[in-house]
Amino acid sequence: MRGLRLDPSTVVMLDRLSLLLLTVIVSAVLTAAMVMQFVFAEIPCPLCLLQRVAMFGCCFGLFHQLRTQESERGTGVALLFALLLLVIAARQTLLDVVPRPGHAYIGSAVFGVHMPVWSVAIGVSLLLALALRLALFGAPRIRPQTALPPLARAARILEVYVVVICAINFAAVVLQCGFDECHTFGYRLLT
Amino acid sequence: MMTITFALLVAAFVLRLLDLPRAAAVSLSLSAAFTIGLFLWEIYSPDDGFRMPWLQVELRHAAAAPGHA
Repeated sequence: MRGLRLDPSTVVMLDRLSLLLLTVIVSAVLTAAMVMQFVFAEIPCPLCLLQRVAMFGCCFGLFHQLRTQESERGTGVALLFALLLLVIAARQTLLDVVPRPGHAYIGSAVFGVHMPVWSVAIGVSLLLALALRLALFGAPRIRPQTALPPLARAARILEVYVVVICAINFAAVVLQCGFDECHTFGYRLLT
Repeated sequence: MMTITFALLVAAFVLRLLDLPRAAAVSLSLSAAFTIGLFLWEIYSPDDGFRMPWLQVELRHAAAAPGHA
């Protein structure tokens, strides 16, 4: 076990890298969802939109954790939203798991798997990854902003990107739902 | 409701970027509360409530077969 001991700065770097990687993956998933919506004209269902909210919440927690060094509050926020994502996705998967009139998985399947099922996998993966991060690195307490400026810069750029896609999602929701119920028939304000 | 949820989410991110963490946390919490409320409203059915009767096992087959409790 002695050979596995890493110096604290390496542990901090690996910890921050794992957080950044997780954020990149979640924002890539959100970007893919937007591509499905705007390029392939697949209008998201209300539960799909709520899953996006949960993923954005995860991103928020991860960004908070990347910036802060005093606590693990950001990880807690990300865990809560990952759990919320899992609950919503599991409920939607169970809703359409038995084929019957008026109930079918919305949207096209990716690699033979439908979106809510992918969301379950993403929720479980996020919970697992965050738990593994805590188990492996044990929440190191060295100031990351001063120690790793390139990582902090990358996190800042990614944060701005996520804010932009969140704003685009907000605009799309306004067009789709207005201030009323959301439907998958079309964009309420454009018809 | 969905529009308000996303508006609060965007506000949380913007407030976070502007270094107003408390206001961002309040906005995110409100967005989460709206999300949970919307989720419960979406899955509630006047006939079934929150239950999922289509997932229930059909016990009549088991009862008809001999040797099954």
